[in-house]
Amino acid sequence: MKKFLLALIILFSFQLSVAQNTNEKISITFKDETLESALKAIETKTSYKIYFDHTWVGANKELINGTYTDVKIDEILDKILNKTDLNFIILKNKIILTLNSTIHDDLPANYFSDAPIETPSNDNNSDNPVFYQQYDSLNSYSVTKKASIVFIGKENKDITKKNYTVSGSIKNAETGKPEANIYIKVKNKNISTSSDPDGNYTLQLPRGINVIEIKSLSHKDVSKTLMVYDDGTFDINVNDKSNQLDEVVINKKGRKQTETAVSGLVSIDIEGIKNVPLILGERDILKVATTFPGIKTTGEGSAGFNVRGGKDDQNLILLDNAVLYNPQHFLGFFSAINPYTAKKADIYKGSIPADFGGRLSSVFDITTKNGNPEKFSGEGAIGPITSNLTLSLPIEKNKSSIIFGGRATYSDWILKSLDDENLKNSQAGFYDGILKYNNAINSNNNLEATAYYSHDRFSLDTDSIYKYSNRLASLKWDHTFNKKSKAALIFTNSEYKFNIDYDSDNVDSFDFGYKVSESQVQLKFNYQLTPKHNLSYGIASKLYNIAPGYQHPKNPESLLISTDIEKERALESAIYLADSYKLSDKLLLDLGLRYSYYAALGEANINSYQEGLPLSNETVTGTTHYKKNEVIKTYGGLEPRLAARYFITEDFSIKAGYDMTRQYIHLLSSNVTQSPTDTWKLSDSNVAPQTAQQVSLGLFKNLKDEEYEISLEGYYKRSKNILDYKVGAQLVLNENVETELLQGEGKAYGVELLLKKTTGRLNGWIGYTYSRTLIKLDSQFSSEKVNNGNYFPANFDKPHDLSAILNYKFTRRYSLSTNFLYQTGRPITYPIGTYQYGNAQYTLYSDRNAYRIPDYIRLDIGINIEGNHKIKKLAHSFWNISVYNVLGRNNPYSIYFVTDQSGKVKGYKTSIFSIPVPSITYNFKF
Amino acid sequence: MKNYKLNNILVFILLVILCNSCTEAYPLLTNSYEEALVVEATITNELKTQEIKLTKTAKFEDESYLPESGAEVFITDDSGNQYNFKEDAEKYISTVEFQAVPERKYQLHINTKDGRSFESSPETLTTINPMQEVTAAVEAKDNVNGVSIRIKSFDAAHASTYYRYEYEETYKIVTPKWRPIKAELSPTGSLIFLTNSPDTKVCYGSKKSTDILLVNTNDLSEDRVDFLARFISDQDYIMTTRYSILVRQYIESLAAFNYYTTLKKLSGPESILSPTQPGLLLGNIQSTNNLNNKIVGYFDVTSVSTERIYFNYADLFPGKGAPPYVTDCQEYCYGDPEAGQVPEPCTHVKSPVEDLALGYVTYFTGIDGAGSFSYWVNAPCGDCTTFASNIKPTFWTD
Repeated sequence: MKKFLLALIILFSFQLSVAQNTNEKISITFKDETLESALKAIETKTSYKIYFDHTWVGANKELINGTYTDVKIDEILDKILNKTDLNFIILKNKIILTLNSTIHDDLPANYFSDAPIETPSNDNNSDNPVFYQQYDSLNSYSVTKKASIVFIGKENKDITKKNYTVSGSIKNAETGKPEANIYIKVKNKNISTSSDPDGNYTLQLPRGINVIEIKSLSHKDVSKTLMVYDDGTFDINVNDKSNQLDEVVINKKGRKQTETAVSGLVSIDIEGIKNVPLILGERDILKVATTFPGIKTTGEGSAGFNVRGGKDDQNLILLDNAVLYNPQHFLGFFSAINPYTAKKADIYKGSIPADFGGRLSSVFDITTKNGNPEKFSGEGAIGPITSNLTLSLPIEKNKSSIIFGGRATYSDWILKSLDDENLKNSQAGFYDGILKYNNAINSNNNLEATAYYSHDRFSLDTDSIYKYSNRLASLKWDHTFNKKSKAALIFTNSEYKFNIDYDSDNVDSFDFGYKVSESQVQLKFNYQLTPKHNLSYGIASKLYNIAPGYQHPKNPESLLISTDIEKERALESAIYLADSYKLSDKLLLDLGLRYSYYAALGEANINSYQEGLPLSNETVTGTTHYKKNEVIKTYGGLEPRLAARYFITEDFSIKAGYDMTRQYIHLLSSNVTQSPTDTWKLSDSNVAPQTAQQVSLGLFKNLKDEEYEISLEGYYKRSKNILDYKVGAQLVLNENVETELLQGEGKAYGVELLLKKTTGRLNGWIGYTYSRTLIKLDSQFSSEKVNNGNYFPANFDKPHDLSAILNYKFTRRYSLSTNFLYQTGRPITYPIGTYQYGNAQYTLYSDRNAYRIPDYIRLDIGINIEGNHKIKKLAHSFWNISVYNVLGRNNPYSIYFVTDQSGKVKGYKTSIFSIPVPSITYNFKF
Repeated sequence: MKNYKLNNILVFILLVILCNSCTEAYPLLTNSYEEALVVEATITNELKTQEIKLTKTAKFEDESYLPESGAEVFITDDSGNQYNFKEDAEKYISTVEFQAVPERKYQLHINTKDGRSFESSPETLTTINPMQEVTAAVEAKDNVNGVSIRIKSFDAAHASTYYRYEYEETYKIVTPKWRPIKAELSPTGSLIFLTNSPDTKVCYGSKKSTDILLVNTNDLSEDRVDFLARFISDQDYIMTTRYSILVRQYIESLAAFNYYTTLKKLSGPESILSPTQPGLLLGNIQSTNNLNNKIVGYFDVTSVSTERIYFNYADLFPGKGAPPYVTDCQEYCYGDPEAGQVPEPCTHVKSPVEDLALGYVTYFTGIDGAGSFSYWVNAPCGDCTTFASNIKPTFWTD
């Protein structure tokens, strides 16, 4: 078409001098005629032959009426074509209709000059007509060959306007549903917008060629070339990303980062992390998360995350809205979240939206992909530790689908094949599976359901088998009332349990277990009050049930008593209201308020302790019995969540936030790091809820047309009633566990710098954090004091933290990735001496965490090789070869001291991966 | 309460295979030394002069632990009695014999000569419940054959519950290659041969338990203990002739039991991935004038019972060969490699003079002369006093 039009122009350019000389006057009457029949009528009445494309003319449905007496042919044509996108030219006895373009009868003065043609946003638009010849310069837009040109409006010789309004809607090509928050930008121009909740957008575009682009995390990239002549509409269809093989590391947030009021948000590009080299080739969303500022773990391979100085239990980890209690496999080495089915991971380190609550420090909001509603497809990977397979299947074409992802280890097989007697009897393995169903019932209703299960099992000697598992289910119904009002109803249920099967030779073999489960119902509303106020509000209520431990003898002759610690039960409810208030183009406020209310419920026996004495078994004064569902104790309070954004310049914003959070469930752990056998405990009369307040301030800047994103954020956080434990606390099967607990204060502050390059051959990010986390455990009783009641650094207090994750693409098929990490060594409690007690030596420990282990430095390198990109291939493949800890640095994980058999103290240093660890993984997609 | 912790060593081994984790010895150096007073004070229901030991903590580099001398130590009870202690040979001994009696509250007081004062919380005597018996039986444990020393105890009232054990084992050693003639070095450095003293032939070795041995019957339907206190492999030389073990059973209070449990936990092997949080362990003794004065130890007022048993190897393992001796007792000679005497017939180079001077060898047989060699054995094979005492313990019965 492009060539055809060019030919036309060239052909007729030579005849321009004679054009319009013969302009007959005719008389003609039109009555309810189509444009085509009207043109036919002119043809029969005159000697003119009219050339046009039937489709162009047929597209104009407006019927033509009118009577013309002795009117020049060009005037008649002007009239009848006025409301169409058609132009015409009269050449002797030929009339040629053109779509959009005007055929000019002279060339602009500079047409043949060597000067490069400016993009047609010049002020002298009206002087210089827009020519197709400008396509020559389209190379500079690098428009792919496929892309065709779309014409907006009719070219009009009398042009005074500088910009034209192009608007339209963005719809999902598969579901036909409008897509909100799609970011549209004009290539090489500083013009962009996002679609509103109904998928509508409006852009102010200069006359001439504009290349508009859609780049989004969840959708395929779209690039359209528009020839803008006048105001007009242009609808865009987008496709979900999950269907495509075109895996470009994409610009995921674009301006969003500078535009939203939320600071402290880390969005993980799940597709992009496949290049990041990881231990044993296992793709791991959570490990990647820890390379961003503010998200840490205590040690390499240890379980639990510490977000901005928060403890391991202060993270709300949500998989499709349901809480995932233990998101890690094999004690913390691998993530339990299947990276092949996950779509998006948003981690809120601050400015936590008001609809989330229940944990102090962060929200890990992970959502699962929808299945491919068009065709059966799949993806898989074979690695040294696990293999996994993801299958996606349409149920009702373009409407409903399911996706299934499963992973399993073969480490058991490895262990069995070993010669060592002990290892042969060991077991270590895990698997997880996720199933998601999605049904786009109609444009107003959408249903999603997820089921997930993960299981870990290990036995490190012949006696005991440890097992732990997560189970969760979630159901979400989205409903749109009208353009302005929407709602979502969500049910979730989660369970975490562990079990130790102790099967020794003697009669005292037993089965020990723990279980926590919760069920939640949430109702969320979103209402666009005015263009400036966007309200969201809702309620949520959650019922917890905890079985804090049982021990059942397996042998009937055993003297062991069957022990069941009393169950715990509580209801946590919340109501919230938030307003995203656009005060001006520059100032955006997110005002949120959440009120949470907690009630610890019976049936339970709650100890009361002597006033003015530390809680201990000796100071119990009595026990109160509460009947089933009787309220034992209530807590509650307001949780303001405030955030503001102000644009200093168009791509530079400053943000501030304040939030308060409350937490009613606590993880009991007397270890330095989280272990799968740590238990969750609910607040009751003896254990108060934790609270935290955070203020943050951030600067966000996009550079070079959003190729680079820079952010600098600072925070200060205070928390109260955070849990700690007496030295050597006995937390398992303890009926009076509160006697072992300490509740203290926390203080954390830090500065986080992140530089990110999202596009180009070299992409990745560099993050640096300076942060401190301090804890104070003070009491009037020395047995409840740690470090004499002074602030001391937390186990995960690592002031300097530098991560660089860089990926370089040599060609479309080969790329090289590197990770570099540097962290200050974590604090440890170091011996300050030794003493003789009984017949053995023991170590006297320093004040808690008074020393540090040496700094942590690690470099990983990975090479990624993509299979060829032929479209017609059974499967697309991808190889990942990586070496973890290339430097072979022996990073200490912990240093500890034991009294050996002979009663002497010995010191040991543990490191987890002390030599380079190579691995190779094969991925395929069909 | 069984061990819910991961079997740490095996975690480590597994990680070596799966993930090449690595544990290596870490040099013991005290970066910043803080001195603390260590109190070992266990007062029992035995009528005797009670003992209290006060020592100082030491740096890792230090060879020994210094006693805290010159302190004023006394125990008071709620009946107005005061028992004073007198310093004697690095210990504090009560000036009178006394015993802890039930339902009386005892309190320990310490005033050091540099002005620190400490006081314990008041403690009462625990339930008196002597153990029933100590047995020795042949058993296999973890595929190793040997002798198990088990302690049995029972309290029908279920009032004892928390048990702590200590043992001291003593065993007779008969030197396998003792000869009536011994070699010594003359002042000029030449070998001289003398009549050997029979005192070096029979000795008695002794070892005290170093582990903190704890058991509780809290989660049992009966207060019944069947505790494996000691397991001796049938390859252990200490059983070769006659073996004796003295077992002490202490009934502990819950608080004392928790103190020992925590001490044991903190000094035990670590879980690789989630190590126990270490810290300063607080007992029931505190400074009365400055809380920054650290003190270690627990003032334990406890009921005790003791039991001693003996057994002979031949009785438990009739007809079975004796376990190997503490060291290899193959005799050898010294030769000149240049003369082709090493490695055949001799395994050792040059002369025995230097090794003898260092106490490594004892004479066995043959006189060094032309064309013949003298034969020697490792020192313990010919002289048990090199590693044990030849003084027969007063309690010993053959």
